[in-house]
Amino acid sequence: MKQRKGLFITSFLVLPVALYAIMVISPFLQAFYYSMTNWTGTNPNYKFVGLDNFKRLFTNELYSVYLIPALKHNAFLLIAMPVIVIALALFFAFMLNVGGRSRGSRIRGVGGSKFYKIVFFFPQVLSVTVVGVLWGAIFRSDEYGFLNSILALVGIPTKPSGWLSDPDIVLLLVMLVMIWSSVGFYLVYFSAAMSSIPTEIYEASMLDGASRVQTFFKVTLPLLFESVQTAWIYLGIIALDAFALVFVMTPEQGGPNHSSEVLGGVMYHYFSSSKAAVACAVGVVLFFFTLTLVMVSLRATRRERVEY
Amino acid sequence: MATVTYQGASRIYPGTEKPAVDKLDLEIQDGEFLVLVGPSGCGKSTSLRMLAGLEDVDEGSILIDDKDVSNLPPKARDIAMVFQNYALYPHMTVYENMAFALKLRKTPKSEIDARVKEAAELLQLEDYLKRKPKALSGGQRQRVAMGRAIVRQPQVFLMDEPLSNLDAKLRVQTRSQIASLQKRLGVTTVYVTHDQVEAMTMGHRVAVMLDGLLQQCDTPRALYETPKNVFVAGFMGSPAMNIKTVPLTAEGAKFGDVTIPLTREQVEAAGVGDAKTVTVGIRPEHCKLGEHGIPIEVELVEELGSDAFVYGHAQLGNENGAERFVVRAGSGLLPQLGETVFVQPEVGKEHVFHAETGDRI
Repeated sequence: MKQRKGLFITSFLVLPVALYAIMVISPFLQAFYYSMTNWTGTNPNYKFVGLDNFKRLFTNELYSVYLIPALKHNAFLLIAMPVIVIALALFFAFMLNVGGRSRGSRIRGVGGSKFYKIVFFFPQVLSVTVVGVLWGAIFRSDEYGFLNSILALVGIPTKPSGWLSDPDIVLLLVMLVMIWSSVGFYLVYFSAAMSSIPTEIYEASMLDGASRVQTFFKVTLPLLFESVQTAWIYLGIIALDAFALVFVMTPEQGGPNHSSEVLGGVMYHYFSSSKAAVACAVGVVLFFFTLTLVMVSLRATRRERVEY
Repeated sequence: MATVTYQGASRIYPGTEKPAVDKLDLEIQDGEFLVLVGPSGCGKSTSLRMLAGLEDVDEGSILIDDKDVSNLPPKARDIAMVFQNYALYPHMTVYENMAFALKLRKTPKSEIDARVKEAAELLQLEDYLKRKPKALSGGQRQRVAMGRAIVRQPQVFLMDEPLSNLDAKLRVQTRSQIASLQKRLGVTTVYVTHDQVEAMTMGHRVAVMLDGLLQQCDTPRALYETPKNVFVAGFMGSPAMNIKTVPLTAEGAKFGDVTIPLTREQVEAAGVGDAKTVTVGIRPEHCKLGEHGIPIEVELVEELGSDAFVYGHAQLGNENGAERFVVRAGSGLLPQLGETVFVQPEVGKEHVFHAETGDRI
C-alpha cells in the first residue's frame, strides 16, 4: 500500500522535476562550468582556464571598470529600493484600507480608495520597455522633454543636457522609475494581506485607545510581517536585475561613463562582445550575490507564524 | 462606575430606510448587569456598538454618567469590550494583550504589572501569560478577552455574545463565572446575547429587542411572569410558551371544547375593534395532564431526567387545524406516542394578548 502511494506521488513529480532539471538546474551548472573556460560563445573550441575570468573581472582595469560600479549600483539599489517601495506601499495600503475613519466609527479606507487602487496598479500592466521609453521622454534633454518643459514653464532653470546624462543622478532616476512601477503592485499585495486581518482586531485597538499611527505600528505591521518579508525578497531580486530599465533609459546602456552600470548589463555586454565565458562569470557573481541576500533576509527575519 | 442612558438613540445605515435601532430609550443603573437579548438582526449588537463608539448615533444621544458621548471617539469613552471572536492580538502574548491599553496610556510599568497579575489571578490565567493566543483553548482565549477588559478598569463593560464560541458545557460554567465576576467588580455591564437562557440567568434586568425596537425591559422574573406582548412571551422561557389564537366568547377563550375563563375586563379589552378571537399563551410548565381538558395527540416525548416534555398536536377549533402544543409532564408515568392526553391549564397562569396588536391584556 505504502509503495503504491509512493509510486502515485512519484508519477506526478517526474515530469515537473525533469523539466526543472533540464531548464533551470542544468543551465546553472553549465554557467558555472563555462565561467571557468575561455569560451567565446560561438567558437566550439575552448579550454578550461580555472578562475582566470573572475580574477580578471575584479583586477584587470579593462574589466573591473564594468564590474565594480555594477556591484556598487546593485548593492545601492538592493538597500534603498525595497525599503522605499515597501514603506510607500504599506502607507498607501493602510490609508486605502483602514486609514479613513474620520468620525470614529466603522473601519474603512479613505474616500475613493477603490479608484486609487486601480490607478496605483496601472504601471504594473505596462511593459518595462514602455515604462523606460515613457520616462526617457520625460527626462529628455531638449526643451521637448516633459520635465524640462514644465520647469521652463514655471521659470526654474532647466537641464538642457538632459537628466539622464548627469552621472550624479542617473542611477537615482532609474531607481525612481523602478519605485514608481512597483509601488502599485505591492500596494495591492499588502491590501490583500490587510483585508485578511479581522475588523474586530482594529476595533479592539481603537477601544484600547490606539491612535492611527499606533495601530499601524503595533497592530497592522506586526500582522503583515510575513507579507513584508516576501515583498522584501521579491524587490531584492528586482533590484539585483534592473537591466531592462537601464538598457532602455540610459545613454550607452549603463552610462554615462558607467554611472548606471548594473550586473545584468555587464553580462549582456560580454555576451554581445563574444566573451560568453566572462559573462558566465558575471552571472556566477550575481548568483552568489542573490543567494546571500535570500539567506540573510530569511535568517534575519525568522519569526513565529501569526494565526488569527 | 457609571450609569448609561440611551435617549431616543437611532442608527440608520446609509442606503436603508428602516433604522437598525429605532429610538432606543434605556437607562442602565450604576453597577447593573443589563442583558440585551433578541433574535439575530434585532439591533442588539448595533445598540452595543453605538455605545462603544463603533457605530454612529444618527439620532438621539447616548450618555455615560450624564455626559453625552454620542460624538466622542471610542477611546474617549472609557469602556472596554469583549468581542464574540475575542479579537485578541495574535502577535502578542497573553500578558501583552492585557497590558496593551495600559501601555498606550503610559501607565507606569510596575502598575501595569500589578494589574495584569491581579486580573490573571482572578481568571486563572497565571500559567499562560507568556503564551500567544493560538496556543490557548477557546475557554482560555475567552478569559484573556475578559482579562483585557478588566485590566483597564473601565467605567462600563460591553460584551458582545462572548460565550457563543464555547461548547455547551463550558458556556454554562463561564456564564456563572462572568455573572459572579461582575458582581465582585461591580462595574456597569451591558451584555448582548441571542440566548434567552443566558439573558434570564445573568441579567439583573433584561431588555428584549425586535426589529430595532425595544419590546420590554425588566427583571427576568417580571419578563417571565408578565410579558408585555406576544413576542416577549414567546421569546422568554424554554420550551417556548404555547401561544394560540382562539375564538373569543363572553366567558373566555375557547380551546376546542374547553373554555379558559377570562375576566370581564379581559374579554372587553380583547374584543376592542370587533375582534372575534383572542391570543392566549400557556407555558408548558403551567399545565397538568389529566382525565379531561384539551385533547392532544402525542408525537414526541422528550425526557430530560428531572423533567419530561410532551409534544403533540391539539384541535383547538380554529381555522388553523391541529396546532402544536407542548406540555411539561411530571416525572410520573409518561404517555406513549400516538396516545391522546388531556391537558388542563393551571387557572390564573395564562397570558392573554390582543389578537391583532399582540399587546398584553
